[in-house]
Amino acid sequence: MECLVVDDSAVIRKVACRILEEMEFQTAEAVDGREALDFCKAHMPDAILLDWNMPVMDGLEFLTKLRKEYGGEQPVVVFCTSENDVGHITTALGAGANEYIMKPFDREIIEAKFQQVGLL
Amino acid sequence: MGAKFLDDLLTEFLTETNESLDVVDCELVKFEQEPNNAKILDNIFRLVHTIKGTCGFLGLPRLEALAHAAETLMGNFRGGVAVTPDAVTLILESLDRIKEILSALEQAEVEPDGSDNDLIDQLDLLSAGGGNSAAHDQNDAEPEAAESEIEEPLKIVQRELKPREVSLEGLERAFAEADGADLGTASETAAEAAAETEKPESPEGKAEKPAAPAPPAVDAGAPAEKRERAVTNQSIRVNVDSLETLMTTVSELVLTRNQLLEMVRRIEDSEFKVPLQRLSNVTAELQEGIMKTRMQPVGNAWQKLPRIVRDLAKDLGKKIDLEMSGAETELDRQVLELIKDPLTHMVRNSADHGLETTEGRLAAGKPETGRIDLSAYHEGGHIIIEIADDGRGLNAEKIKEKAVENELATQAELEKMTDVQIQKFIFKAGFSTAKEVTNVSGRGVGMDVVRTNIELIGGSVDVTSVEGKGSTFLIKIPLTLAIISALIVESAGQRFAVPQLCVVELVRAQAESDHRIEMINDTPVLRLRNKLLPLMHLSKLLEIEAAPGSGDQSAPEAFDLPGAVSPEADGREPEPQGAVSTPTAKKFEEAAGFIVVIQVGPHCYGIVVDSVFDTEEIVVKPMSSMLREVTIFSGNTILGDGSVILIVDPNGIADAVHGSLFVDGLQNDADEDAAFDSTDDVVSLLVFRAGGNEPKAVPLSLVTRLEEIDVATIEPSNGRDLVQYRGKLMPLVNVNDAFQKRKEGMQPILVFTDEEQVMGLMVDEIVDIVEERLNIEVTAGMEGVIGSAVVKGQATEVLDIGHYLPKAFDNWFRRPESDDRGYSMRVLLVDDSSFFRNMLSPVMSAGGYSVTAVESADEALKMRDEGKQFDVIVSDIEMPDMDGFAFAQSLLSDARWSTTPIVALSSHTSPAVIERARESNFIDYVGKFDRAGLMEVLKSTVDAIGEVA
Repeated sequence: MECLVVDDSAVIRKVACRILEEMEFQTAEAVDGREALDFCKAHMPDAILLDWNMPVMDGLEFLTKLRKEYGGEQPVVVFCTSENDVGHITTALGAGANEYIMKPFDREIIEAKFQQVGLL
Repeated sequence: MGAKFLDDLLTEFLTETNESLDVVDCELVKFEQEPNNAKILDNIFRLVHTIKGTCGFLGLPRLEALAHAAETLMGNFRGGVAVTPDAVTLILESLDRIKEILSALEQAEVEPDGSDNDLIDQLDLLSAGGGNSAAHDQNDAEPEAAESEIEEPLKIVQRELKPREVSLEGLERAFAEADGADLGTASETAAEAAAETEKPESPEGKAEKPAAPAPPAVDAGAPAEKRERAVTNQSIRVNVDSLETLMTTVSELVLTRNQLLEMVRRIEDSEFKVPLQRLSNVTAELQEGIMKTRMQPVGNAWQKLPRIVRDLAKDLGKKIDLEMSGAETELDRQVLELIKDPLTHMVRNSADHGLETTEGRLAAGKPETGRIDLSAYHEGGHIIIEIADDGRGLNAEKIKEKAVENELATQAELEKMTDVQIQKFIFKAGFSTAKEVTNVSGRGVGMDVVRTNIELIGGSVDVTSVEGKGSTFLIKIPLTLAIISALIVESAGQRFAVPQLCVVELVRAQAESDHRIEMINDTPVLRLRNKLLPLMHLSKLLEIEAAPGSGDQSAPEAFDLPGAVSPEADGREPEPQGAVSTPTAKKFEEAAGFIVVIQVGPHCYGIVVDSVFDTEEIVVKPMSSMLREVTIFSGNTILGDGSVILIVDPNGIADAVHGSLFVDGLQNDADEDAAFDSTDDVVSLLVFRAGGNEPKAVPLSLVTRLEEIDVATIEPSNGRDLVQYRGKLMPLVNVNDAFQKRKEGMQPILVFTDEEQVMGLMVDEIVDIVEERLNIEVTAGMEGVIGSAVVKGQATEVLDIGHYLPKAFDNWFRRPESDDRGYSMRVLLVDDSSFFRNMLSPVMSAGGYSVTAVESADEALKMRDEGKQFDVIVSDIEMPDMDGFAFAQSLLSDARWSTTPIVALSSHTSPAVIERARESNFIDYVGKFDRAGLMEVLKSTVDAIGEVA
């Protein structure tokens, strides 16, 4: 299983990758939506851990574009941000996110989410 | 391993956050100016948001709370709340606090104790007080895309919740309505997380909050990591130390390569040649590549400036635009670090002192907003950074006042300085023109510190300013400190490297040449283009003994080595190498050697070394920390042949030289500017007092030595004072009758030498040595005085030594027997220098000649055309328009003066010049200061005429 971690903060990418690797995922990183999209076009991952606020292309725009790509409906997208108001969450889910978690997250939270969406 | 991971994470976090904060600083300032620029706001918001988000992972509640509060306020801006300067200031303050916490975190690795409630409360107040209604509106407006779909849930938001907070029910409901997906657990988790994140809003509850989220990330050993990074990372972070190590390793590689190349060069047709060539290229590329990794855009040093300027503008009530260009110009990281502070200081200065207040600007008819332009660009091997403001400019009068007040210069000295020279005073130690010390600058750290810091890295700083228009500071710094061009010299059998940047020129001193090392008050000096250069023997400074075979004797050999260099310098004035040697060799102590003329800031001095080899690009290795106290060396390096040599620090030596400078007056700005001008009329004068209060002066070049002798050793003999001096009796003379020699103690005397004869002139006090454009104004009727001139703003009598010499020796001049002829021999003196005309005329007059002095060959020819007759012509060689040679030639063409003997007079006495003089109709050749020689020549010429007659 491969998971793409999209976040502009290197710290968060590191933490996320670490957790995912412990869960025996292969990981890849992207610093913004544009990079993530390029990655996906070349090679769809199984899951995507997606930040909302990023330079160049934000998470929402990425998600919308991803779902329009060929095979773009396939990856499980878990939105993962501290944008915690209702509007954001509904928007994210509306744009095609499979799940939504709050920062800061830990292994338990990720594991729980991944189980719910059937990744584990 | 877990701990290590956390450490790494923390380091990463600190770097990342610090960078983000710098960006936020700049962006906020921009944002304040264009509050409607949503893009900038988004950018800021995102960065603060990321900081907040990241803090959560690391268990940094203080940071998180603060970042959250700031984020909330910025969220309000995003929602359309008007941006007030107060709000921006508050956010900037919060960012400062975050930085404080970060630096504490960096040191202690835990968040420092303390409360940020003060700031958070204010931020919250503004967030709420920006109008609850506004905040409310914003709640509606915030998720623009979602707005229409989810009007319902928003109504549930309870009023006591702060803006952007969401109630649990709200979340759940939103989830339920948004999608058919089963979100039950999801919303719980989300809500939990939300609750945690939101908690910081109420700071009281915060401190107790355990740093829960981070640890799980660290537990359990990770399985073998197989990271796939298909996404190309544009950059990676590398520890600076590893770069430094790489750099050193590459330097070693370069040296080894050089050794190999050297070895192979000696072997014809070596099979190594081709691969070695390849190795050489690769090494060069590698070196270049590594150098590049050390380069950073200069903008990194500027990042904080917009913020600083903004704060300043606010504090000072000014409007300031900071324009920056060339931020992408790259330079060495090390240099960058070192210029950061000076640069910041200078920008502060421009904002504080340079720019007028808004009222002041309007009154001066300038736009309200002041400009500071910061630009950087490459020029040669240097980076030029310009800081220009359109403020009031430097006020020369104020600087003068201040300079006098701080005793940096006397009023008289200042009077004669140009505005440019006066402006340079701002770089002097202890100088600050600001009337009152503001919070901003003028805190004792002045431009002198800036200058020192910049000079420390081999840079220079200069200022040009037009009063009322603004000032421009120009900083010139080397691209890198790691590889420098150095001059390799030898002293006492050891080799040293001298940074080429400081080397102005090389002078070879020989006992018999124009350039010889002389002693004034036991300090070696070199007379170089009418300027006295203090010297320092490197071997003496380092207290190293010359190994046998090295030293003065080896100098000429070394100089003939193929690698040896002739004057490196700037070629402004080629040195007459190995000038003429007169048979009567005078013995001067250590008069020979190679002198490396060094300029460090205002200081100019010479280092005497035994030989000079070559210039080489050397890789600077810093001194070991154990030897850091030794200021004379700045580092060491390995030469191509593998030997380790020390790099001399010109600044360190300047300090050492400065301590032993014999006359402080030697090193002042007026001198500095005149230093390498070959202006004809600039003459070094020795100023002293004797027999009266008014200063007296003699050309320094006539003085052989300055001595102090014990009055008790003076022996009166036959109405004259004599003293035993260097194994001979030296007559002493008084300046005038008013002079009283000291009753006891030491009597300062000026020693004049001519051939074998030595004379001492007793004086009261030696005052100074000055460089002056000598203009003798009044020819005094007094005996022994050529005239008076203004020296350093004071009327000074210029003494005629020629008057005193006969007093000391009866046979000083064998005067022509003018009585016999019934009339004086007529001498025409042609010299463009008024000084020499004034000096030589009395000498010749005293010798019984009737002297007419003119200042150019043209004038002389005019006199010929007028039908005047002379017995002898004495002409200078170096003159503008028509020089001596041409003049002598031209005389041949006209019958009237074609037979008149003409004597050449010149400061150059090389054989070639003498030869040329003889070819050009000159009958003889005399050095300018060789007065006895001149009299001799005149006498023999006159005698010859007498015989013919």
